[in-house]
Amino acid sequence: MLDARVWLVWVVTALVASSVARNPLYAVLLLLITVIVGAACRAEGDRTGGRPSVLSPLRFAALAIPLSGLFNALSVHFGDTVLFRLPGNWPFIGGPVTLEAFTYGAQNGIALSAIFAAFMAFNLVTPVRDLVGIAPRAFHETGVVISIALTFIPQTVESLTRIRHAQAVRGHRLQGLRDWPPIVLPLLISGLEQSMGLAEAMVARGYGAVSDQRQSARMSAGIALSLLVVLTGWLTLLFSTRWRVAGLVLMGVGAGLMLALLWSAGRSVPHTSYRPRRWTVRDTLGVAGCGLALAAASLRAYPGHSTLYYMPYPRLTLPPFAPLVGLGLLGLLAPAILAGRRAPFAPPLDGEHAEV
Amino acid sequence: MRRVLSGTIYLLSGLLGLMAFLYPFFMPITAKVAHGAGLAHSEDAPLVTGALVGLCVVALIVELQGQAISAKTVALLGVLVAITSILRFLEVAIPLPGGFSPVFAPIILTGYVFGSRFGFLMGAFSLLVSGLVTGGVGPWLPYQMFTAGWAGLTAGWVGSLLRRGPLPRETFQVLILSAFGFLWGLVYGVISNMWFWPFATGPAEQTWSPGIGLAQTLTHYATFYVVTSLGWDMARGVGNVLLIVFLGAPVIRALTRFRRRFQFLVKSTDA
Repeated sequence: MLDARVWLVWVVTALVASSVARNPLYAVLLLLITVIVGAACRAEGDRTGGRPSVLSPLRFAALAIPLSGLFNALSVHFGDTVLFRLPGNWPFIGGPVTLEAFTYGAQNGIALSAIFAAFMAFNLVTPVRDLVGIAPRAFHETGVVISIALTFIPQTVESLTRIRHAQAVRGHRLQGLRDWPPIVLPLLISGLEQSMGLAEAMVARGYGAVSDQRQSARMSAGIALSLLVVLTGWLTLLFSTRWRVAGLVLMGVGAGLMLALLWSAGRSVPHTSYRPRRWTVRDTLGVAGCGLALAAASLRAYPGHSTLYYMPYPRLTLPPFAPLVGLGLLGLLAPAILAGRRAPFAPPLDGEHAEV
Repeated sequence: MRRVLSGTIYLLSGLLGLMAFLYPFFMPITAKVAHGAGLAHSEDAPLVTGALVGLCVVALIVELQGQAISAKTVALLGVLVAITSILRFLEVAIPLPGGFSPVFAPIILTGYVFGSRFGFLMGAFSLLVSGLVTGGVGPWLPYQMFTAGWAGLTAGWVGSLLRRGPLPRETFQVLILSAFGFLWGLVYGVISNMWFWPFATGPAEQTWSPGIGLAQTLTHYATFYVVTSLGWDMARGVGNVLLIVFLGAPVIRALTRFRRRFQFLVKSTDA
């Protein structure tokens, strides 16, 4: 099982690559990669308690690609290869329907399907607890709120079932919105009572002693400053060609400042974890694969980088394909390749608390 | 000083988030200024704006969670987020008409009763947790969190505005909140569309293209919105109105009663 951080890097890389690649050949390759990774890691997801999606990525692609192509073909009447013509007096869709417009729409549908498939694979293989676990320490309170919410969801479902049964015994039937208050109000009030009890238990265990301390004004000032720097950088980037680099640098500085503040705030929060997971060689290989794909998608100096962009208008031609770019994008397959192998260093399962 | 800093963070993050949502409207100006450089942003723009919206959400969460979140607030928020996430399950499991979603009414009502800070956290965390449990994590999540958070935040402003004088009748409060819910049902759609609209394909009068003026951009977006999204969002707005009309008054009463209990605090008096 790969570390949740590796999966986070993987899904961000897949998002970047799918957004950048405006070439149907690479888009299809990315879609296949994300679907294969999702399928290869399905067993791992079932074992670790991942969340399967309601709609399968292939079904989504089967809907999104033709629909997107059809919508574009019917609404954009541009391109040299005319497939057929619709009467010109038909509003919006009247005019020539071209192969180029269909291809352009389908290309967007493929990119969208690849992004969807990547996130569905991510949702499938990463348990919620692991995601909460990798949240930065600065989000201590946020992590506690999310943990409470996740713990209370099954209890709330049980309460809802109990209330519904109790009301049904009294002859209540849920038919319309008017019938909701007898269900919703007891659920809300029991939840509020539970939260009161939970808060008392938390205070009794010393939670308030740490959490009631006010955040320092210096931290707030730092956040305000970092936002101001990012905003200034973005405005410079948008409205000036001469200072584009300066704009980018300012945005980077602002984001860096924010990260530094979060890291600094997190240092004051003690963090322990039960059965800490050790970083393995497989995790490093997974990140290396993502790094290769990210380089292929985003580095202008990468051989064949220009082939990532393709425009089917005005006449459809065969999209260019650089084998090195294709090879780089295959780095995203790393989790699927690593899924079937045993970890050389198994994570410790000694059951002891350890400082992270 | 503390209030000024908080206000500055709200203002800057709101401005940055709003600019990220509305950047297609700046593009005509930037394209003119940059002599076509605006086109160069089109490939990375969704990623940059997504990152900026994420940054705004992070900044607001850090600021708000740092303002003395007590154990009571944490517990209350966790439980209310859990209840709202169950409603999101309903939305996923049972196909509801159009964009109707039962998660907005509780966000608005809790923001109204517990204040803007609580409202923002409730909105942002409800979308985050429900996204986590329903497998709905995706590039759309920061946008959803930001918009739902602002729905809760502004509901808190409505609450503090109404509570300035003698509290109006319950019917009037429900009426105001229904109108507010309807408005947010539409605004949520208007804002959410912005992240993909510049890249949407379709008729020229509904899509953005480099070089068109600001007025044209607005007209094109309005046409696009009316043709593709108004009906969908109307279902969300009407759904919010129905939920607030039928459930608003008793829920506000229950939440207000608990707010008094949650605000009870014992303070030590040092001599």
